[in-house]
Amino acid sequence: MNDGIKMQVSAFVDGEWPQNEAELLLRRLCQDRDLRQQAAEYLAMGRVMRGERTVAGISMLRERISAALDDKAMQAEFDVAATERPRYFRPVVGVGIAATVALAALLGLQQMSNVPDADPASGSQTVADIVEDSYTVPEQDDDQLREYFLRHSATSAYFGANSINARLVTLQLREDVLLDSETAEQPVDEDGEKADSTDVVDSQGP
Amino acid sequence: MTVVAQEAAPHDWLNRMASAVQSTNYEGTVIRLQNGKVEALKVAHSVVDGVVREKVITQEGNGLEIIRHGNEVQCILPDKKSVLVEEWDDQSTLFSTLPSSDIRFGNEYDVSVVRRERIAGRKAVLLAIRPHDGFRYGHRIWLDIETGFPLQTKLVGDDGEAIEQIKFADIIIDKEIHASALAPSIDTENFRWFTQPRRSITPTIESPWSSDDLPSGFRAVSAYDEKLPGRESPVTHILYSDGLANVSVFVELANENKIAQRSRVGASHSFSIEIGGYQVTAVGEVPAATVEQIASSMQRK
Repeated sequence: MNDGIKMQVSAFVDGEWPQNEAELLLRRLCQDRDLRQQAAEYLAMGRVMRGERTVAGISMLRERISAALDDKAMQAEFDVAATERPRYFRPVVGVGIAATVALAALLGLQQMSNVPDADPASGSQTVADIVEDSYTVPEQDDDQLREYFLRHSATSAYFGANSINARLVTLQLREDVLLDSETAEQPVDEDGEKADSTDVVDSQGP
Repeated sequence: MTVVAQEAAPHDWLNRMASAVQSTNYEGTVIRLQNGKVEALKVAHSVVDGVVREKVITQEGNGLEIIRHGNEVQCILPDKKSVLVEEWDDQSTLFSTLPSSDIRFGNEYDVSVVRRERIAGRKAVLLAIRPHDGFRYGHRIWLDIETGFPLQTKLVGDDGEAIEQIKFADIIIDKEIHASALAPSIDTENFRWFTQPRRSITPTIESPWSSDDLPSGFRAVSAYDEKLPGRESPVTHILYSDGLANVSVFVELANENKIAQRSRVGASHSFSIEIGGYQVTAVGEVPAATVEQIASSMQRK
């Protein structure tokens, strides 16, 4: 993608691209996935620069492009304004702490998603056999597996292989520990202490 | 500097990067792209006398803040008036992307300098790390020519599609980061605090478990017996690495709680299988086939 087209996209996103030339650019956006991604980036950047936490212009852009193409997949591509995160984890029995929040709004990525078991009749699988699109997102408790992901991330970090992805996933999953705890919260006594059967220690204030 | 950029070998760039991520002060805006989603974070990072201080503020949703001072990390959740405190007992930083040089990749990848571009208004050189097979992901890294700092990274699947991208939209490098830029921007006085205990690990000299069919290049780099929450018995944790990609294998006595056979978190996959009365689970930032092969090939000596 050359700088000229990037400038056009940037101007378009900012509402500064002439209307009579916008149709041509829209058609190009419809056909070019990278260009659409670039547009989404510009929108996110502009949002950050303006200190916005919502995306005022994104729906308009999405509507304009989808009207030109009627492409559901592309609509999803621009769906950067999710504010609600899905819950794929259920409360942990016996975890007695309070709190928390929606870090997925930060990450906008899927939580732990399970894959259907392979068909035994299909024989051994090769790399190419396992297709990402076959993944589904069930709702189930899997605290053991979550702990494995966390331990793996921490150990990888110890050996220096700490990608931002691994670290953010760690935080995301940690947050889920708190989230799980919220619904299993136990009564708090006058000192803010509680009967704590968890591995996370709760206290009031630093 | 231009001459250096043109002449430096790929591994020299990686060494520069490894040094830069540990010593560079920076402040900027990071854009993260995954699964067609775009997210933004404000970050500030400083290293003074070897002590890392870092602040990350999400620009979406609930405004989560992550504050790091040395090994202590506070995750501030403003809408829930809660703070989660963790110990990161390693020297890693949020934006490191490669393993330390002592285990850096062997013969499973090709590393090359591709071209020069501009990222976040700075001159950058693009490095490509391409795997030889489908058992690991590829990487593209755009390094700041002046400092070696990674301005953009991309995780690439064997179909060439980007699995995840992290890039700076804007960045200021090596300026003095004021203490206020690293302090919480939220008053947490009446927040509830949760402390995550330190890990309890017993190093294992030699694990009774091993794989007889590791994908090419993977080898065991550590083994622990580790106590996990809610477990009476320790779990054996073996870390395999090809020098870049890591896979953990967890082995514990099988119980009534069955783990999902296949799952994923972001670019990470897991595969779980019962072998001889033990639950064996492989987890790593690798394709699904890799964790499946490693877990399935584990055996007790």
